[in-house]
Amino acid sequence: MSAATDASEPIAPPRPGILSRLMREPGAAISLILVVLLVGAAVFAPLLAPTDPYDNDLALSMAPPGSDGLLLGADAQGRDMITRLLYGLRVSLMMGFAAVAIGGGIGALLGFLAAFYRRWLDGPIMRLVDIMLSFPAILVGLAIAAIFGPGIFSVVLALSVATVPLMARIVRGSAMVVMRLDFIEAARATGMSDARLIWRHLAPNCLSAIFVFATLRFGQVILLGSALSFLGLGAQPPVPELGAMASEGRNFLFFAPHIAVVPCVVIFIVVLAFNVLGDALRDALDPRLRV
Amino acid sequence: MSDTLLEVTGLAKHYPVREGLILARQVGVVRAVDGVSFTVNRGETLALVGESGCGKSTTARLVLRLIEPSAGTINFEGVNVTRSAGAAQRAMRRRMQIVFQDPYASLNPRLTVADTIAEPMIVHGIGDTASRRKRVEELLGLVGLRPFHAQRYPHEFSGGQRQRIGIARALSVQPDLVVCDEPVSALDVSIQAQVVNLLKDLQRRFGLAYLFIAHDLAVVKHVADRVAVMYLGQIVETARKGDLFTTPRHPYTRALLAAIPHPDPQRRGQVKPLGGDVPSPMNPPPGCRFHTRCPFAQERCRIEAPALRRMADGHEAACHFAETLPPAGLDFSGGLSEIAAKRLALYARALAA
Repeated sequence: MSAATDASEPIAPPRPGILSRLMREPGAAISLILVVLLVGAAVFAPLLAPTDPYDNDLALSMAPPGSDGLLLGADAQGRDMITRLLYGLRVSLMMGFAAVAIGGGIGALLGFLAAFYRRWLDGPIMRLVDIMLSFPAILVGLAIAAIFGPGIFSVVLALSVATVPLMARIVRGSAMVVMRLDFIEAARATGMSDARLIWRHLAPNCLSAIFVFATLRFGQVILLGSALSFLGLGAQPPVPELGAMASEGRNFLFFAPHIAVVPCVVIFIVVLAFNVLGDALRDALDPRLRV
Repeated sequence: MSDTLLEVTGLAKHYPVREGLILARQVGVVRAVDGVSFTVNRGETLALVGESGCGKSTTARLVLRLIEPSAGTINFEGVNVTRSAGAAQRAMRRRMQIVFQDPYASLNPRLTVADTIAEPMIVHGIGDTASRRKRVEELLGLVGLRPFHAQRYPHEFSGGQRQRIGIARALSVQPDLVVCDEPVSALDVSIQAQVVNLLKDLQRRFGLAYLFIAHDLAVVKHVADRVAVMYLGQIVETARKGDLFTTPRHPYTRALLAAIPHPDPQRRGQVKPLGGDVPSPMNPPPGCRFHTRCPFAQERCRIEAPALRRMADGHEAACHFAETLPPAGLDFSGGLSEIAAKRLALYARALAA
């Protein structure tokens, strides 16, 4: 603006990094801090936990929060709730990440292929997706648990299988819109390989859809995983898992509500934090929305 | 004249039209491009004009093999590239590039300008990182942008600037032929002048040949060496620019030229606009495709399809009665509207500056 500014001199506008752009939004900043705290707590659970998650003291059974130096009380077996929560968070987050990464990755790839090789692959891939969509996740979980036995592996597999068709549909829709744009033709006119075209030109322009759905799905997957654990297909006692902990507490809801309520509140916070962060990331990753 | 760079013979693209949900059967064919032949010489501009839907853009994409032709051959420097694949295809892609109509859709919004311009070089293994960066700066300079623009994203530029980026991308691999698919139709008039002049400049410097798709005759008059007029998927007349504008031989060309608004009250009543609509390319009329709208149509036109015939040196027209048409009685050479004339003057001034 000032007269001293020479128009011919390039004034490189400071290009804020993605982190500082995230921190400018209060909601995004809070969710980012929450996610960092949650993930940190899960990763460093062995260091942070005051006791061992399997240490039980029946004298403390159902101790209410605040008693005997137990900040959040103890569960029916007299195990420290804080310790169980930290370890449970670990298991739940890992399950969520694994399922979204595996299922989402495969689903996104299928979506790209269906949109890119529309003539040959769209029909077959989408019919496959339709078939997968027609199985409820719980049913898939039951079948997989029957084959591989109940456990975390089965839950992750079931959740991945349930995520593939949803991600494939969303990515296909978004990729089809991008495929119609001229820059795809321009890229093709340079003679690049299909793989490069998909990776450099198609995929990045579908990222926002993928991000939004992945974060949304992350919350759903944690809930679904909890449901499977609740049905006895997932984490087996005494392994702590947020959903399993909530279902254990169900029996004591009237005498010791904290056993069920506390894990549910943690699930709620996890899901909310990831959803808000996902939205914020989408905006921050889109160069068109950069100010 | 000069040596032939691109030779297209009998090029066609037919799209099947299917009906039915599960057992789709073919109910017809859209003849988007139906037997088009032309040549482009090294360093020359061939303009392809016609109203929308006549197959201009499809022809452009067929030449680049972005769409696979249904029939016909494409020879590039005497080599048949109609069905080339693999390495031959890549080599061909390096020699032919494209500039698009819509500068907003033709750049990947996720790539910086530097990445966009450098990518064709990476794909063809030209240079290393440092030399490519230098080349990007050089190209930015060539198209009238500044080196610091390299690190910006497309959304930070105006339409005209984006079009320049698209041109820089096309030139990065030093092609011989650039297909310009209505490169200025989406731009403001003043920006059109700049971009058209830039294209002419670059042509002079690098000996580029252009296949220039346009529907704007003012632009065509400014850039073209030769003009091919398309109607309903076929070429009806080709001629050197001067010949076409002074002595159009095909009734459709005449109608196109006459349709240019003209600030001359004397002309009122002399110009009869074409009646009717363009027939569907799914069901083109028999005989001459233009006979449904042609003021000179006779019985023969309804039966026999006219072939392109030589009228004069370098002038061909597909009309049975091209020689015997009554004189148009119009001076087409000056037949540009006041606005178009002003624009031409603007181009010329900008070029001189």
